[in-house]
Amino acid sequence: MSRRLVLTLAVSVVVVAGLVPVLVMVGQSLAAEFHTGFAYYRGLLASGRAWTLAGHSLALSSITTLLTVGIGTPLGILLGKSDLPLRRSLLLLFAIPMAIPPYVLAVSWFNILGRGGTLAHWLGPALASHSSDWLFGLGGCVLVLATTFLPIVVLITVAQLSSIGPSYEEAARLTSGWTSTLWHVTLPLIAPGISLAAVVVFLLSLGEFGVPIFLRFDVFPVESFAQFSAFYNFGAATAAALPLGLVTFLLLFLEALFLRSRSYALRRGPDAQTMVIALKSRRTLLLVVLGIIALVLVVLPLGVLIVRSSTAGAFHEAIARGGASLVRSMAYAAAGATGLLLIGFLCGYLIQTRALPLWRKLDFLTVFLFTLPGPVIAIGLISLWNRSVTSFVYATPAIIILGYLAQYTALSSRMCASALEHVPPSMEEAAQVAGVHWGRRLVGIVVPLVRKGLVAAWIVGYVFCLRDTGMTMLVYPPGHDTLPVRTFTLMANGTPELIAALCILMVAAALLPLVILATTLRPTARMA
Amino acid sequence: MKLIEFQSVSKSYNGRLAVEDFSLSVEPGERIVILGPSGCGKTTVLRLLAGFITPDTGSISIGNELVARDGQNLRQPEERDLGMVFQDLALWPHLSVKGNLEFGLRARKLSASDRKQRIHEILRLVEMTEYLKARPTELSGGQQQRVALARALVLQPKALLMDEPLSNLDEELNRRLRKEILRLHQALGFTLLFVTHDREESAELGTRVVFMRSGRIERIESQPSPTAVVGPN
Repeated sequence: MSRRLVLTLAVSVVVVAGLVPVLVMVGQSLAAEFHTGFAYYRGLLASGRAWTLAGHSLALSSITTLLTVGIGTPLGILLGKSDLPLRRSLLLLFAIPMAIPPYVLAVSWFNILGRGGTLAHWLGPALASHSSDWLFGLGGCVLVLATTFLPIVVLITVAQLSSIGPSYEEAARLTSGWTSTLWHVTLPLIAPGISLAAVVVFLLSLGEFGVPIFLRFDVFPVESFAQFSAFYNFGAATAAALPLGLVTFLLLFLEALFLRSRSYALRRGPDAQTMVIALKSRRTLLLVVLGIIALVLVVLPLGVLIVRSSTAGAFHEAIARGGASLVRSMAYAAAGATGLLLIGFLCGYLIQTRALPLWRKLDFLTVFLFTLPGPVIAIGLISLWNRSVTSFVYATPAIIILGYLAQYTALSSRMCASALEHVPPSMEEAAQVAGVHWGRRLVGIVVPLVRKGLVAAWIVGYVFCLRDTGMTMLVYPPGHDTLPVRTFTLMANGTPELIAALCILMVAAALLPLVILATTLRPTARMA
Repeated sequence: MKLIEFQSVSKSYNGRLAVEDFSLSVEPGERIVILGPSGCGKTTVLRLLAGFITPDTGSISIGNELVARDGQNLRQPEERDLGMVFQDLALWPHLSVKGNLEFGLRARKLSASDRKQRIHEILRLVEMTEYLKARPTELSGGQQQRVALARALVLQPKALLMDEPLSNLDEELNRRLRKEILRLHQALGFTLLFVTHDREESAELGTRVVFMRSGRIERIESQPSPTAVVGPN
């Protein structure tokens, strides 16, 4: 098959998995609304509740974004550019929350700050009553989501820093100290990347529903989820989902319009090494500060879960009630990650080599689908595939895998494109002039050169498929629930020990490949 | 009087010696060309002098002040009063030509009028006054070279370090810029350390040529002053 055909097929998969369902959902909703005089939309706009939901959603997303960018950027600089001891371990530690469903952290914090939690046990019920009131609301949601999405900003900052040719900073260091260099040279150069991270965090916070449901904070995705799953009111669910889709589209459109044009092509030789900030006497102090932050945001919540789950029989019951779901989760995540790697690699290749004119639109589409709330993707999938002729998809795990492809292709395609960026075009061209066919060039030359990046992309795809709740919750066929879904449904009647044990199983399943990822990617650095 | 002095400097990366027992004295106003094949350690010498890396052993002095010794940088890069033109030029793409030139002057806390005067003077010297507000990406390769030179020279550094700045240019532009460097040297009298692998460049630009191989100085040759070659472009 020709290069053009294969790449077109890959794009078609993304379009069929993600774009068509969303368009069908919008089309069905507007058609139905047209006959009723847009009753749901008018009802939504006229009700005070809609504006309350909008206010809550915007407050949650804005504060979470400000916090993650405000903390994540300096954290990324410290972990990616300084001689801070244990920075790789700290980076891994801060990345853990991204590998688990956000509501797991909400459960942990409930075990700490709730009325029957650790704080109540140590400091008495009066203080725990206040902390519980704070947790069940905007404050608790911000705490959990900021912890969950902090790694996005940190990892993007680290990746952006490593892409800057060292001479840009060296030229500044000839006249200025690190503070001025970071402020006037480094940060402006990575600003487009940080801005994209901010947009992604804002949209993911806007679309998150598991944490607000658990912490009883009404936001738009909760409304959409409740209308669909509790009342099966498709009209009301899509009416609540469409504003989210619209905001996602608009924000990404603005990001593409204003920020991408400001991205800089930063030259970096294959042997170039990142300039490292020597912290000198501040090393110990900063290590202690970062250690405390990691302790509070990551170690404490996970530690509490471990302690809570370490009762006789908790894991036994967890395996009995969630073991099958765990196995299914891992199998679906592995299948999803493999599909994501295949489609993501081809899309990444297309984006990197600009092999088809629609590469920019494809990149936009994948990021749009990634930031679209899971329930919105799910309602789209149901709108398209819930028909008797397509039951071979809708009534089988294929619908979950399609959902993964729709939601997470951006991750694998961006990671593959980033890996391909380091392969000089001449590598493939040398094989081309030798008469080697494109497919063979791809498999024999390009893939081996980027194999580490592909391994990393598979692992990240696996982790995100494994933790998915928002989309899977609505589309899973009977008897095919995943562990995050099972845990979420058991929260209503399971004991805290059982829920904690299920959460720990999920963390273990997610962390296994993350540890492999950490050992796969080893950056080099030098002192200045 | 010595402006720059390397004394028995060695530097290794991952157990491989990049520079070994390197000793060199540079007089003010000299034009030193460090010539050698790829990987011989010539760029490492410049980076040691700039303070981006630290010598494992030996010492480096600038203007009679010890700036690095035996694994220690005693003076940070910004405290060494040097200018540098990088191989990839490293013009900051988010700043205009003026912004690129002004960054270092601001760091040295020059008044706005002094900054303006210095920028105007140096841009006049490199014949780029009309590009004050242009972004580096809007300039041609030759114009970018001139801005990189201006950015280094506007600081009136003790010495100008140039790391193969002409290596990516076509022959005609390369020749023109060599004349330009000599003209600027005649006008400003700066001390030059120029790294290259090109014998023609070394013959034209250096008053002394340091031949390097495998991290060591092979020999040093003095050349008759080539200022006679400076003529109209």
